[in-house]
Amino acid sequence: MIAIRDLTFTYKDEKNPALREVSLDIPEGGFLGVTGPAGAGKTTLIRAVSGMIPHLYPGDFYGSVTVNGMDTFETSLAEISRQVGTVFQDVDSQIISPMVEDELLYGLENFGVPREEIPERIGEALRKVGIPDLRYRDIASLSGGQRQKTAVAAIIALRPRVLLLDEPTGELDPHSSLQVFSLLKELNEEQGVTVIVVEQKIMLLCEFAKQLAVMNGGRIAFQGETREVLAHAEEMQDLGINIPRVTTLSRALSAGTGREQPVCINLDEAEAMVRGLMK
Amino acid sequence: MNNLFGYVPGNSVIHRLNPVTKIFLTIAVCVAAFISDNLAYLAGLLAVDLLIGFAAGVPGKTLTIFRGLLKIALFLFALQILMIRRGTPVFWIITDEGLLTAVRVVLRLVIVCMPLALVLAVTRISDLTNSFVQVLHVPYQYAFTLSTAIRFIPQFLEEMNGIMEAQTARGVAFDKARGLKKFSMILPLCAPLLISSVRRTDQTAAAAELRGFRLRTRQSAYKRYPFTALDLAAAVFSAALIAGALLI
Repeated sequence: MIAIRDLTFTYKDEKNPALREVSLDIPEGGFLGVTGPAGAGKTTLIRAVSGMIPHLYPGDFYGSVTVNGMDTFETSLAEISRQVGTVFQDVDSQIISPMVEDELLYGLENFGVPREEIPERIGEALRKVGIPDLRYRDIASLSGGQRQKTAVAAIIALRPRVLLLDEPTGELDPHSSLQVFSLLKELNEEQGVTVIVVEQKIMLLCEFAKQLAVMNGGRIAFQGETREVLAHAEEMQDLGINIPRVTTLSRALSAGTGREQPVCINLDEAEAMVRGLMK
Repeated sequence: MNNLFGYVPGNSVIHRLNPVTKIFLTIAVCVAAFISDNLAYLAGLLAVDLLIGFAAGVPGKTLTIFRGLLKIALFLFALQILMIRRGTPVFWIITDEGLLTAVRVVLRLVIVCMPLALVLAVTRISDLTNSFVQVLHVPYQYAFTLSTAIRFIPQFLEEMNGIMEAQTARGVAFDKARGLKKFSMILPLCAPLLISSVRRTDQTAAAAELRGFRLRTRQSAYKRYPFTALDLAAAVFSAALIAGALLI
C-alpha cells in the first residue's frame, strides 16, 4: 500500500536532512506504530506519506514515496488526500471551522460525498470517537481532548484508505487514548484501513500496532514486527525511548534465570510467563 | 470579547432570514443613516436597530453592545462639540451647529455599528461564507479568508492569555499595571503572538488542502440558502428604510 524508497528530504533553508535514506513498506491493512526521540523525523515521515512533502513543504527530495500506486511527487495533493487522511499533531491548527458539525462537513462537502450520505457519515464518525453530544458545540468551548476527538472524527468521516496520525493522544487522558487506539484497531481490522500512527506512549503501540518503526536522527533505527523490534530494548532505551515494563521484566527474567524467555509485549503474556516460571 | 461577537443559537424570525438578506438589511440601515440628516429619522433607525436585536431574541446582548457603543459615542460627542467652531455660541465655546453635528455623528455611529455586531450574533460564520459563495458567487478563497480570520479571534485571545500567564508566572505584574503602562507591557508580546499565529495559519492552510480545499466549488456546501417570503419582506423593509431616508 505504501512504499518508501531511499527517501532523503531536507527542508528548504535547512542544512541537515530531516529524513535520511528511509525505506519502509507497509502492506494494505497494515498498522505501523512510529516512535522515537524528539527531532527524529517522525512528523516529517507523516508529511511525506500524506503528500504535504513535497507539495506544501519545499525542499530537496531524493527517493520516492508511493501510496496505493500513486507517486506522491507526481500526483496532486487533492488526489492523494482522497485516499489518505491525516490528523496533525497540533490539533488547533487542523481545525478549520468554528463549530463541530461544520468541521466534519468541510471535507465531506469538498470531496463531493453525496448529499444523502452526509448526515449518516457525520453521526457515525462522532459516535465512533465518542462525542455524539458535541455535534452542535462551538469548537472554542471544547477542551483539548474534545478538540482532538473532533479532529479525528473529521478525518474518519471521509473514510480514507490510509490513516496517518501524528501523536493523536497528546491531549487525551489514558482512558480516551485507549478509546482512540481501539477505534484505529476497529477501522484497521474491519475495514482494512492502513494505519500509520506516531506515538510516544509505547505501551499503546505494543498493544495495538502490528509493526513498529523506531526513528532516530532522521533514520529508521529498527523496524519490523513489534516483538522483533522490542528485542532491541536496550538500544531503544539508549535512545531515550521508554520500554514497556512487561518487556523489561521478561528481559530481566531472561538474564536472571539464565534461560531465554520470550519477549513480552503485553500484560497477559507477562502473566503467563511468570506463572510458567513459578510452576 | 469572544462572547460579544459569538453566535447565539436560536430560531427567531431574524435567525431564519437568509444570511445574504441579513447583510443586505445591515447595509440598508447603514446607507439610510448616512443619507438622512433628520434627527427624528435617525432616532427611528436606532429604534429599528434595537427592535431587530429584540426580535432576534438577544436583548441582553443588544443592550450590552448598545451600552459599549454609548461609551465611545460620549467620547466622540465631547470631541465634536469642543472642536466645531461654526454657528452661534450657545454655552461657553459650544455652538448650536456643533451640538447638532455631534448628535448626528453619535447617532450614526451607534446605528451603523449595532447591526454589524448583531449579524454575527444571529448568523453562523459558516452560513455567512457558504451563502456568499452560493448566492452572491463570491470566490470561495475570499470567503474562506474571512471565515478563518473570524474563527481565529478566540484562539488568538487564548494564546495571548497563555503568553501573559507565562510571563506573570515569571514575575511580570500585568495585574498591577493600568492604562499606558499596561499597554507598553503588552506591546512586546506581539512578536511571539504574531510568529505563532503565522505558523499556525500555515498549518491550517495545509489542513484545508488535505481536505479538498481546491476541489470545493460553488455548489459544494451541504446546506442550501433559498430565499423565502420572509426574505422578501425584509428586502422590502430595507428598501423602505433607504427610501424613507431620501424622502424625509
